[in-house]
Amino acid sequence: MNLKVILDEFSKVAQNPKQQLDNYLGAGKKVILVAPVYTPEEIVHSMDLVPMGAWGADMQLQEAKTYFPTFICSIVQSILELGIKGSYKGVSAIIIPSLCDSLKTLGQNWKYAVPDIPFIPMTYPQNRKPDFGIAFTKAGYQRVIDDLEKVTGETFSDEKLIASLAVYNEHNQVMRELAELLAVHGEVSAVQRSDIFKSAYFMRKEEHTLLVKKLIAALKENEPKKGRIRVLTSGILADNPDFLSYLDVYNMQIVADDVAAESRQYQQDAVDGETGLDRLAKKFADMNNCSVLYDAKKERIATIVSKAKATKAQAVIVILTKFCDPEEFDYPLIKKACEEANILSTLIEVDRQMVNYEQARTILETVQTILSKQSPQ
Amino acid sequence: MAEEKKPRREAPDPNSAKVKLGNIAADAYTQAQLAKERGEKIGWCSSNFPVEIPETLGLKVCYPENQAAAIAARGAGQRLCEISEADGYSNDICAYARISLAYAKIKEAPEQDVPMPDFLLCCNNICNCMIKWYENLSKELDIPMILIDIPFNPDYEVSPAQIAYVREQFWAAIHQLEELTGKKWDDENFKKVKERSGRTSRAWLDATSCACYTPSPFNGFDLLNHMAVMVTARGKDEAVDAMETLLKEYKENHEKGVSTFRGEEKYRIMFEGIACWPWLRATATGLKDRGINMVTTIYADAFGFIYDDFDGMCAAYSKVPNAINLELSRDKRIKLCKENHVEGLLVHTNRSCKLWSGFMAEMSRQIGAACGIPVVSFDGDQADPRNFSEAQYNTRVQGLMEIMEQKKEAAR
Ligand code: SF4
Ligand code: SF4
Repeated sequence: MNLKVILDEFSKVAQNPKQQLDNYLGAGKKVILVAPVYTPEEIVHSMDLVPMGAWGADMQLQEAKTYFPTFICSIVQSILELGIKGSYKGVSAIIIPSLCDSLKTLGQNWKYAVPDIPFIPMTYPQNRKPDFGIAFTKAGYQRVIDDLEKVTGETFSDEKLIASLAVYNEHNQVMRELAELLAVHGEVSAVQRSDIFKSAYFMRKEEHTLLVKKLIAALKENEPKKGRIRVLTSGILADNPDFLSYLDVYNMQIVADDVAAESRQYQQDAVDGETGLDRLAKKFADMNNCSVLYDAKKERIATIVSKAKATKAQAVIVILTKFCDPEEFDYPLIKKACEEANILSTLIEVDRQMVNYEQARTILETVQTILSKQSPQ
Repeated sequence: MAEEKKPRREAPDPNSAKVKLGNIAADAYTQAQLAKERGEKIGWCSSNFPVEIPETLGLKVCYPENQAAAIAARGAGQRLCEISEADGYSNDICAYARISLAYAKIKEAPEQDVPMPDFLLCCNNICNCMIKWYENLSKELDIPMILIDIPFNPDYEVSPAQIAYVREQFWAAIHQLEELTGKKWDDENFKKVKERSGRTSRAWLDATSCACYTPSPFNGFDLLNHMAVMVTARGKDEAVDAMETLLKEYKENHEKGVSTFRGEEKYRIMFEGIACWPWLRATATGLKDRGINMVTTIYADAFGFIYDDFDGMCAAYSKVPNAINLELSRDKRIKLCKENHVEGLLVHTNRSCKLWSGFMAEMSRQIGAACGIPVVSFDGDQADPRNFSEAQYNTRVQGLMEIMEQKKEAAR
């Protein structure tokens, strides 16, 4: 298959999650919504259920306003809006983890705003590394399993979980390989890159892995387009096509990302542990470099800088989801660390209700003007 | 903690609860300062961190939330917030955090100084924002941070898994602190702290439940001032004495038919949320002038730290207001409304606090329906004066009053 055909395939899925949902439901599958930032998708997968990512959508909020004040992030608000408006009709449940304050409140509102789709909480520990933290993660997973069994009538088996972990580990590995290749292949646009990552939330991972493998093969045969401005993106979510198209307009190539909906998902595999559930809990314990995971030494900040250096990124673009506490606290430290490392950094605030990206355009234009004076490395 | 500013009358009675409670709050800063000067390691501590731990170990700590409230009440909230904003902190971040991070940078504020810390004690049972705030303090001040993670509980009861997780963390924190400061945990000492904390809590619960009398023997704004002692000093002898004095005074007020609420108590409401410290006078006057007494808040229930053993303590800390689900939060409030004959609910939609405000709309609807009372909200902020409009506040309070009046009329 040629590159364009494969990329279009990702875009088709990424731009039509509703179609994917209908396809799975039509095929007799039960679908479970999984909210950000980390959800034990592997458990859902192992029970022969289809996990589908719920990161909200770019839309105006109406119904959610009856529940949320304005100062809750638009990801959380639009998930509720879609729920109330019936966009998720047919799914069997939603799993919402408790990793930030706004997500904690989403679950509480969900119970009353969308009563026909059961809410399954996933309570993660923040002291996730010691044994007692791992035990608590396991207890949280067990709770999810019990609720899923109740809601769907399916049964959990650790053996099947081990098989699903292998599927997810392989997917992680191809996504990491792909991210590295995309640092070289400037011919893939920012919008296309986002669609590759986004589509992973709406496909079973074995299907996505297959498609990514095809893409990797096609990229390897393609002559890399060079000479674009190399940027690292950081944030929770960066999937708005209007916004991303400005990266292309200003000749910018995402050579690495620290985006929660993108590469942060694929940092850690599930490998250590006796049972499947142990491995999954250990995976969470080993996860790092994310604003919603306790990090007293702020290693995430240093990691962003070293990643920028390793990929020769000329700028770090922080794409901040408005009202996102975890990211807002990290931003001043990212800014400072970049200054100290002599890397240009810039802040762009985004919001799922935004229709006009003019301000983002101006900022990117400025970045381009500054950087085009430097020769690409 | 900040006090509502009133014109000076005669010198207050030094044996009054008000003076005693005020002294305890002020004394905490002095004690920490003196300990620092003696060369002891002192900490900054989040408000719902188990005070039993530093208290039993004999460690002196200060509470950045109290400091931020004091700074805000004394008019410097915006000044400090802007210092953090200049460093890149969004003005959407909790104002307590912005004030505290600014203070960590400039290290002095005449409105309320605190000694700089050698370690940080963080507990996120009230919000995860706290973790982020303390991480940054830890990084900027280059001092260790100890986190006790008490997750938001989506269920009505605290699970055995959560108790076990919290218990292990308590011990891990104790051991870390022993190593860090050279102080030693002592079970006998803990027993005493536990008993004192239980006595203070009982007196607080009894005092606040005096609001069941009509008229209430106190103005609920008193509670906003006194709660600092409940949060931070429960385990101290002075707190036991002060709270028992408060209870005695409220009982006496009731017997004499008097109240710290000035004027006639025409309406009784529950106030939801943290006080708007920069606008304390405006918010209090807006109620008082209309004969509205705020007779209760969730704080009346929140600080009942009465437990038998270590696991009981872990469970108590898992049940603080922002750590519990909508149903339990709702039921606690319904109980307060019913017991205290509340006629209306005034909700502070606090821009600073996402967790507190995030499901308040649905919860207050349910409380209103269960109690048959009107619910009105206003926009505000506990410490950033820019997020409050006095005009909007007064319009909303007036609206609430009118509905309460209509209901009274209908009942006559
Ligand atoms: S964007 Fe931020 S605030 Fe919103 S759900 Fe994600 S982590 Fe929480
Ligand atoms: S006001 Fe809310 S966000 Fe701020 S520290 Fe308190 S609980 Fe946390």
